[in-house]
Amino acid sequence: MKRTDVDEILRDALREEVSGARACLDDLEERIVAELGERRPRLRTIDWIRQLVAPTRGARFGQFAVVGATAAAFLVVGLFASRLLDHPEQPAVGGGIRLETAQAARTGMQDVLFVVPAPLAATTVVVVGDFNDWEATALSDEDGDGIWTTTIPLSPGRYEYGFLIDGRWWGEDPRADEHVQSFGEYSSVRYIGRGGEGG
Amino acid sequence: MMRHEIRSTLAAVLAVLVLGAAVLAAVPFQAFEEALCCIPFEETERILAAIELGYGQENFPSEDTLRLVERLVEHPSPTPEKQGILLTLATALEEGLPIDDLLNKAFEGLARGVPLNQIDGGLYQRLILLIQVRDLLYANGIFSVPAGSPQSVPSALPTPRFNELLTNIADAVGDHLEGGGSPFDGHILFQHVEERLMALQGVTLLQADVALVLERIEPADLTHVALAAVS
Repeated sequence: MKRTDVDEILRDALREEVSGARACLDDLEERIVAELGERRPRLRTIDWIRQLVAPTRGARFGQFAVVGATAAAFLVVGLFASRLLDHPEQPAVGGGIRLETAQAARTGMQDVLFVVPAPLAATTVVVVGDFNDWEATALSDEDGDGIWTTTIPLSPGRYEYGFLIDGRWWGEDPRADEHVQSFGEYSSVRYIGRGGEGG
Repeated sequence: MMRHEIRSTLAAVLAVLVLGAAVLAAVPFQAFEEALCCIPFEETERILAAIELGYGQENFPSEDTLRLVERLVEHPSPTPEKQGILLTLATALEEGLPIDDLLNKAFEGLARGVPLNQIDGGLYQRLILLIQVRDLLYANGIFSVPAGSPQSVPSALPTPRFNELLTNIADAVGDHLEGGGSPFDGHILFQHVEERLMALQGVTLLQADVALVLERIEPADLTHVALAAVS
């Protein structure tokens, strides 16, 4: 065999080899992507939480901000809810014929009913006391019989109060536990929760 | 590593909660400066300094104090009368006394339309009573210690418990005097105080604290307290 023939044979063999290898490389990228896609694990909930708890340094601040804002939101909502429980919307008006209490759903709190007779011409009757920071809580007289009432939830303690009937002070509730003089006029005092009594 | 991250997250949440609670719980001191800047009080600096002292007290009612300052600022009465009420409060804060009862009395007067000079007269008498009763308790070995501190002896009461006793005793004596009672009626004064404390025993006062006061205080002590308030 001549030397040139041998060269030809080797050249042809190499050419076939290279073209075959090129064919292998043609769709290599697509095949790798497809295979990775098949093997990519699904992100489970627990993994998501883990990522949240152990984020990359770059994302940590943002995720802390989200967690912090959520916590702050819970705190604010909680505080407002507790304030609403302490000072719920209160019905309007009244004087001192009866003051009754009923055990409220909340532990230690009692719904205290304030009742006051007022002249039929009266237009505004409010109760003020240390339980409402001496801010007026209106009483109502829906049937117009001159008996004004309201119910206020109170925690155990001693409460001083009186009524303002069209702006005039009236502090002698006959159902009060005691009466004290203050600024020259009587105020009523009610004890809630004393010796387990309802008020 | 994971535990470290969890701890960091929990610490951050805790910090947010604590800061949030602090921000929501207390009125900033600047609010008092802003409220008082509208009125040319001669003693504004003293009043502000006393309020600043108040922030160092346990359970300082900053919200109610600011509300009273704002109500007084808006009140149509002459400036000296408004200042008189604030100076009485300032004195109480300087003395380290609880001011809840004084604030309550002031709001009561405002709600009933009582003139400011009359309100101040009532507040001043209550202030003297608070001072006298505190000194009486101290003289009888009943002390106040900061809440959370170890209670070395049974008569060293945490501040909130001590203040509750102090306020109720002073208020009972004050009610007796306002009702026209004589300061010399030691036994009647003692009876009023005893009734008040017994009524609140187990409600806002501890039985042990009530017993402690009733066994150490005598009718003559209350006569001295009442005399100081009316003289």
